[in-house]
Amino acid sequence: MTERPALGADGLLLNVDGISKHYEGVTALDDVGLQVRPAEIHALLGGNGAGKSTLINILSGLTLPDGGTITLSGHQLDLRRASDALGHGINTIHQELSLVPALTTLDNIFLGREVNARFLGMNVKLDRRRMEERVRALAAEFGLSQEDLKLPVGEFGALKKRVVEIVKALAFDTRLLILDEPTSGLEEEERLNLFEHMRRLREKGVSLIWVTHHLEELYGLADSATVFRDGRRVGTVNVSDTTVDDLLGMMFGIAAGEFGSTSSAPALAEVEVESREEVLRLTDVNRSYVLRDISLTVRQGEILGIAGLAGAGRTELARAIMGIDKISSGTVHWNGNPVKFSGSSAAYRKGLAMLPEDRKQLGILPELSVSENISISSLDRVSRLGFVLKSRDEVSQAESYRQRLGIKTADVREKIRNLSGGNQQKAIVARCLNTNPDLLIFDEPTQGIDVSAKVEVHNLIREFVANGGAAIVIASEIGELVELSHRVVIMKKGRLVGSVDNVPHALVSGQFEAVKNRILAMSAGRTES
Amino acid sequence: MNFPRAASRALSTSGVPIAIALVLVVVIFQIISPVFLTPGSVRDYINNAIPILLLTVGVAIVIVAGGIDLSVGTVAGLSAGTTMWALVSGAPTWTAVLVGVATGLVFGLFNGLMITVFGINDFIVTLATLNIAGGLLIVLTEQVPLQGVTTPGFSDLVYGNFLGVPTGFWIAAVIFALMQFFLIRTVFGRRIFAIGIAPGAANVAGVNVNRVRLGTFVLSGLLAGAAGVLLASRLGAVQAFLGNGYEFIAIAGAVLGGVSLAGGRGSVWAAVAGGLMLATLQQGLRLNGVDPVYFSIVTGLCIVAGVVFDRRIQQLALGSFRKRAKGGPTPPAPVKLQETHLLGTGKQD
Repeated sequence: MTERPALGADGLLLNVDGISKHYEGVTALDDVGLQVRPAEIHALLGGNGAGKSTLINILSGLTLPDGGTITLSGHQLDLRRASDALGHGINTIHQELSLVPALTTLDNIFLGREVNARFLGMNVKLDRRRMEERVRALAAEFGLSQEDLKLPVGEFGALKKRVVEIVKALAFDTRLLILDEPTSGLEEEERLNLFEHMRRLREKGVSLIWVTHHLEELYGLADSATVFRDGRRVGTVNVSDTTVDDLLGMMFGIAAGEFGSTSSAPALAEVEVESREEVLRLTDVNRSYVLRDISLTVRQGEILGIAGLAGAGRTELARAIMGIDKISSGTVHWNGNPVKFSGSSAAYRKGLAMLPEDRKQLGILPELSVSENISISSLDRVSRLGFVLKSRDEVSQAESYRQRLGIKTADVREKIRNLSGGNQQKAIVARCLNTNPDLLIFDEPTQGIDVSAKVEVHNLIREFVANGGAAIVIASEIGELVELSHRVVIMKKGRLVGSVDNVPHALVSGQFEAVKNRILAMSAGRTES
Repeated sequence: MNFPRAASRALSTSGVPIAIALVLVVVIFQIISPVFLTPGSVRDYINNAIPILLLTVGVAIVIVAGGIDLSVGTVAGLSAGTTMWALVSGAPTWTAVLVGVATGLVFGLFNGLMITVFGINDFIVTLATLNIAGGLLIVLTEQVPLQGVTTPGFSDLVYGNFLGVPTGFWIAAVIFALMQFFLIRTVFGRRIFAIGIAPGAANVAGVNVNRVRLGTFVLSGLLAGAAGVLLASRLGAVQAFLGNGYEFIAIAGAVLGGVSLAGGRGSVWAAVAGGLMLATLQQGLRLNGVDPVYFSIVTGLCIVAGVVFDRRIQQLALGSFRKRAKGGPTPPAPVKLQETHLLGTGKQD
């Protein structure tokens, strides 16, 4: 192991400066910085799409930044692959566990860095005894017995698996440990236990970068926090000097009030929703561990917003409504009749459509053209007898959407993967609109697209409901929800924990901030004052 | 390398590179041995190749949908067996043909239902039916001698003559054209591509993924049945191990034709060209007196070379696209290619 000076001249362990990262027209990180002191717990906060994951991937050597510098203890690093980061003592515990379930704890800890018994100068077999000696004390410190070392990690619960990852990191000279939502999937008691381990790490002189959505967890544990929003750093604060509300404000841009100015609330306020036809009604809908006793209605001409933190079950609710995931109990009424959708195709036939959250994985069909992406949900409209495709109709249909929605592409026969994120999103909106739905579910409709495309997508949603459609909008940005929705319901841990009715009226009477803050408070799980 | 835009676009079109390569190989063999392109020789080797080309097309359709069907070889063998069995039992020609095709259909349905209803991995299911169909043919040959009886109409399926071209050619050509039309020009074909590219996204977009997947296995089964009928017609006798190993020649042909094993890319013509390439190589080697034991080695090398070549072409085409989109951010093209090519080297940059 090489000798390293303890710290850089600035007294920092890690200094990230001017890092940017662009993906196909989407800015994931824009000139961000991050400063981590030695032996501190540094929280990294931000809504979905704020750029936290991108930064973590860059620090773990999984993603190459477009520009900027990363300095560890005064030495500039060139992180080209995961092993570079490990070699410099930067270890990451990802949200998806990276342990091999069938291997024992010991084998997992030494995976890829095995100690071999040697014979005649050749590695002949794994030297488990020496490996065990090396980690026994460390493992015991974190509550792993000698027995545990010999058990396959697949038999462990979520907490123990995380502890194994921590020990795995510490076994090899870790100076900076990155924890990506380490408490997800843990019960209350296990969380507290994990926090103890995190404190112990700090005492050992290890610095932690901690990504979490649960702001209450920070107090008494994190030293400082850096907040990202839309790929930019909003600021860094001392946790002890701030309140949850301050942090929420930084995360979602409440203080800036950037959405208040463009609000079209008066137009929406004219809609008298109560008198409209009910399109969808859910009664006590459950899906094991994900959705609990959800009851809600959506009316014609209404935009229902669903707020909640990551993992609250919003996308799961959308998928259950669409019949993509099965519901375990409860009833769904569609236009007054009880229905059970056997799958998404049944839901589409009845007049539902969905714009999914993860555009790259679940939205676009990258190898197909823009026009083929638009028509895929409504092929009967561009075919003879629902069988033979009429390509000319397909292209001219796409062409009319290109002009109406302003999809920027030279040719609708271009592959959709060559378009920018915002234009891909507009094409997916076109796909949904073309099915002529009664209810359209928008899951994070403006995620990862630029400001102007955002405004355009908002206008498309409004136009859709103004013409008699009903919409459900899921968005992490509360300002966006408040501005769009007639009504907002708030989800937490798979339940509906509150609702705000008559949002447009509140906006007209200038209560924009108050409404946002009420929703934020309920999402974060504190009782309404 | 700098590629003109039109050329790179044409070369990246599925089937064009393999068609060019096929023509080159034919020309080379013709130069080496001038008997290569005599009508009799061409008729023979294409006649021999047709059943496997049918399997290649069936497998290609399954692969485009993101699946795999290993059972086509032995199912074709069994279909040939049941066809012969019907003839031996005194059935008329068309009944025998129906029995053979129905055998393929039953296996296709069974594969598809096991995969979609019970959610079993397609590799496992079709590996099982490969063995079941192979075993059933052995049992059948032990019960009934599958030879000696043939109706005049039956052997005409392959050896008949229409406008100077053997009937087998016509049958195959019509099936290929139908399948190409089906895959490229129909709603169901479009959905096959969609589920092959991204099954999750297709599902969210309202495509009934399971029904489409079932459909591809049924098609593959039907084509295996048809291949079996043509095999029986050509051979006039069915032995116990007929069709064993055909599935790998079929998969190899499809891959050689640029059908991506990751799904979502390919065409029927490309698969047929890939299959013909393998058949042509064998024929060329045979005519030049190469010991048949070397055929499988050449086939193997040819697959690797073909896939590497196809990848290079794709990268060149993408490269010229990137230059066109000047000023824009660089698309992570090499990574995308990784995702769509299972047979790649897996090496980045």
